[in-house]
Amino acid sequence: MNISTNKRIIFIGYLVIAIVVVLILKLYFLQVMSGEVYAEAATQNITRTRSTAAPRGNIYDRNGKLLIESVPTVGVAVDPYIVLKREDILSTLSSKLGLSYYDLKAKLEKTKTTYIDRVIIKQDIDKETLVYLKENSQSLPGVEIVNIFLRKYNYGYLASHVLGYTGEIDEAKLKQEKNKAGYEGGDQIGLTGVEEQYEGILKGIKGKIVYEVDPLGRPTNIVEQTDYIPGNNIYLTIDIELQKYVEETLATQLEAIRQKKVGKTDINFNAGGGSVVVLDAKTGEVLAMASYPTYDPSVFIGGISTANWAQLNDPARKFPLNNRAIMSFPPGSVFKIVPAYAGLSEGVINKSSVIFDAGTWYGLGTDYPKFCWNKSGHGGLNILGGIQNSCDVFFYEVSLRLYLKNKNSEELLQKYAKLLGFGAKTGIDLPSEDPGLIPDKAWKKEWFKNDKANSIWFPGDTVNMGIGQGDLLVSPLQLAYAYMTLANRGKQYVPHVLKEIKNESGANVADLSQSKFNDLELNQEYVNIIESGFNLVTRQGTGASAFRTFPLDKIPVAGKTGTAEFWGHQDYAWFASYAPISNPQYVVAVMLEEAGGGGANAAPIAEKIYEYLYHIESQQQVKPVDNFGD
Amino acid sequence: MGRHSREEAAKNKYINTGFENADFGETKRKSLKFDIVLFLCVIFLSAFGVLIIYSATRYSLPSVDPMFYFKKQLIFLSVSFAIFIGLLTFDYRKLKRIWIIIYFINIAGLISVLFFGYEVNSNKAWIDLKFTSIQPSEFSKIFMVICLAAVFSKWRVEKKSFVGFKKVILSVLVAFSTILLILIEPDFGQAIIYFLVYTGILFISGANFLYFLGVTGITAGGVFAGIKLGLIKQYQLDRLLVFLKPNVRPEGVGYNLFQSKLAIGSGKIFGKGLFLGTQTNLNYVPEHHTDFIFSVIGEELGFAGAFVVLILLGLIVWRCFYVSRHASDNFGSLLAGGIGFIILSQMTINIGMTIGLMPIIGIPLPFLSYGGSNLLAIFMGIALVENVYMRRETRKDYEIAYEDYK
Repeated sequence: MNISTNKRIIFIGYLVIAIVVVLILKLYFLQVMSGEVYAEAATQNITRTRSTAAPRGNIYDRNGKLLIESVPTVGVAVDPYIVLKREDILSTLSSKLGLSYYDLKAKLEKTKTTYIDRVIIKQDIDKETLVYLKENSQSLPGVEIVNIFLRKYNYGYLASHVLGYTGEIDEAKLKQEKNKAGYEGGDQIGLTGVEEQYEGILKGIKGKIVYEVDPLGRPTNIVEQTDYIPGNNIYLTIDIELQKYVEETLATQLEAIRQKKVGKTDINFNAGGGSVVVLDAKTGEVLAMASYPTYDPSVFIGGISTANWAQLNDPARKFPLNNRAIMSFPPGSVFKIVPAYAGLSEGVINKSSVIFDAGTWYGLGTDYPKFCWNKSGHGGLNILGGIQNSCDVFFYEVSLRLYLKNKNSEELLQKYAKLLGFGAKTGIDLPSEDPGLIPDKAWKKEWFKNDKANSIWFPGDTVNMGIGQGDLLVSPLQLAYAYMTLANRGKQYVPHVLKEIKNESGANVADLSQSKFNDLELNQEYVNIIESGFNLVTRQGTGASAFRTFPLDKIPVAGKTGTAEFWGHQDYAWFASYAPISNPQYVVAVMLEEAGGGGANAAPIAEKIYEYLYHIESQQQVKPVDNFGD
Repeated sequence: MGRHSREEAAKNKYINTGFENADFGETKRKSLKFDIVLFLCVIFLSAFGVLIIYSATRYSLPSVDPMFYFKKQLIFLSVSFAIFIGLLTFDYRKLKRIWIIIYFINIAGLISVLFFGYEVNSNKAWIDLKFTSIQPSEFSKIFMVICLAAVFSKWRVEKKSFVGFKKVILSVLVAFSTILLILIEPDFGQAIIYFLVYTGILFISGANFLYFLGVTGITAGGVFAGIKLGLIKQYQLDRLLVFLKPNVRPEGVGYNLFQSKLAIGSGKIFGKGLFLGTQTNLNYVPEHHTDFIFSVIGEELGFAGAFVVLILLGLIVWRCFYVSRHASDNFGSLLAGGIGFIILSQMTINIGMTIGLMPIIGIPLPFLSYGGSNLLAIFMGIALVENVYMRRETRKDYEIAYEDYK
């Protein structure tokens, strides 16, 4: 050993002392000087906050019939931190609750990263499982039995598209709404329909229990407790009895149409879907809204199975989750309400203007003949005859004149379509409403931007649109909305499904009885002319056969049929109507997918509904009538 | 001894006294051959460790056995103690002759981990021996110290021990071949300890200070290049440097540190009482029976307990360097010093990380953390230190002088 070694070891000795002193000083600072602060913070570490689920608000129909209620039940929740470390617990849970081990593990691993200490893994457990879990709670740390509420659907599939369904909140929503709305993993939220639209009103406010735990995580004493506030109850404008009748009539009629052949061919109508909207003409309240095919929302209770979900999304089953009332389709002649009003307003026709229909029309030039649906032609017609017979040539001519006026600089047909509410959302209080489409120059330019030859707006486009064809798309609700506006002489009431909100004790939370309207200030004379045309439709026009036994003298019905050609599909059948003419009470719009003529197949549904609404002894079976008409 | 080196003192004595009999009294005084202070500190700390491990783990496996870790650690301690006694019986100087064999056994052990090892927390550092698992990198530290001590000590061809260029290069090869294998596992925490132990031995070897500066400088440059070249990822660096940001949020990389400080701080002066820690037992502090055992001590026994533990650890390190200074030869001196560096670096980094003074790297706290390999290895190290101490004066002074003269 030399001198330098000896010195250096002594130096190391001092270094040891220095290190120990620094560590002790830091400990002194941590434990003695800031000990109180840390002790305070640590007590938060040993308290646990548990929320208690609030029952979701009930949903009633307009007459106070309970459609959906919240039923208390027990579920299983786990702390992912604890349970993920214990394979034995995971496998016990997966076998006892009938969950896939790997799905369960994956689910917990996902939530683990978001610092959630409780995840509901099973919604509704049977008594046997409950007893097992309770008896074995000592060997299942991190597993909790929680009180939760589940939806119960008292009317099954009825109005399922309006009501919607609930499901487990997803990861993305949880992250974005976690703090602001107090959601936790496994919570049920409204995913469609009224359940989604009024989530904030229905969900209620969770209760809270704060308690301390011992080192094993077992609760020792409760520090703080807040009770939950149940969600508010919602009263809908829907009349569930009417809804039932409408849905059944729609389904029966579609079934009957499926037995029919298309024209003279050997092919049956597909008639795979349809929709009916019934509005209160004076308020815009939705009395019934049916969409076919339908689904049973109870398959979503406690989490939908993969098989069920696949079924609901199978194209062969025509997508039963879709609410066709607020989806858009090519409308056909029911859209003629627009050229009729536009033509009169813009002066391109008047009450007595006569247009001659020879079956073929050469308004776009001899190279571009266009045909009336009635190949032999209707002869000379004024606007009343044009509407009554749904004469295509009459409306070709009107549309062309609208196009030619000021060289289509104002796009008059589109302007009036938009005025009557087409091409935009009606504003109904349901999520995912389709605004439909009113094609115009700008749209066409954008849509066909890679196909320059097609990107120009041709006069033929306006002419096609005048009979409800082309790229035009309209939803059954928009149609009902436009006809309701006409019935009300220009007063637009926003369609809606929410009538009242009441809290648990039955007090009104929000008063929604006052329906606001927007007055379009339509020309009353023109409205009267068009209405007279609609009156003729049900008496002696394209809709007459459906109403042949209906007491039209007592209850005059304004109606319009439509048969829309849809490329690659069979014709779509439409019927739009309201009654009674002098004092409109109801608006009924019907749309049937791939079901042939509107007069033959859609109008009978509306007729049946009016029979029901006016308590008229049914004179005829609901079945397609045989005469052919547009 | 003061400012004289051991050899000079021995020579002077030999010349001055002339005959051996005059040394009787002194020899008698030195007949107490066992460093009892070191031994007692070690036994007390490791027994205390078993108790703390029980406190930290009795809720970890409630369905199996709350005493599971306690019992295992007790068995580890008994085996370690037996081996400790066994290692006192032979002369440590024999190791110097077979250092090259020890070196290759060490390398073979580390390589076998790469092939037969299994991973814990993404470190492939363990070999399963069926009845228990061993972590060769713990023993490897002791082996490396033996090899380095042999390299730096007096070679047979030398008249007088001198640490020159050749020895430094050889030591670099020995140390860095070992560190490289540790890095491949990859266990960055252990690699840092290895490096600190190596530079420590280099420092006290008597090598020119410039060598010390050169080795540390080149290593620092290498690490810097590693970062630049992307061999060391940014997230690894972030995790390493999280302790420099005291206000880091209590989640993500700062979570462990935050919870550990909360546990220790909340222990205040006298702690919450043994077995009464809530933070550590509620799993807020991760790895609380291994790397974060000090958090349990801090929480349950407070500043008082932590103070005692630190003092005892400090005493152990001090005794190692004391033995280093009083060893009969520079091989023994470097051996004891190397063991001292192992304990010093591990205790500094481990305790430092639990209180936010050091980066969070996964290394155990000597004597206290749960784990058989780490306990056995450190007992083997202490056995070597005691061995050096026991044989510090087995030769008469004239023998030393004669050997040096020869």
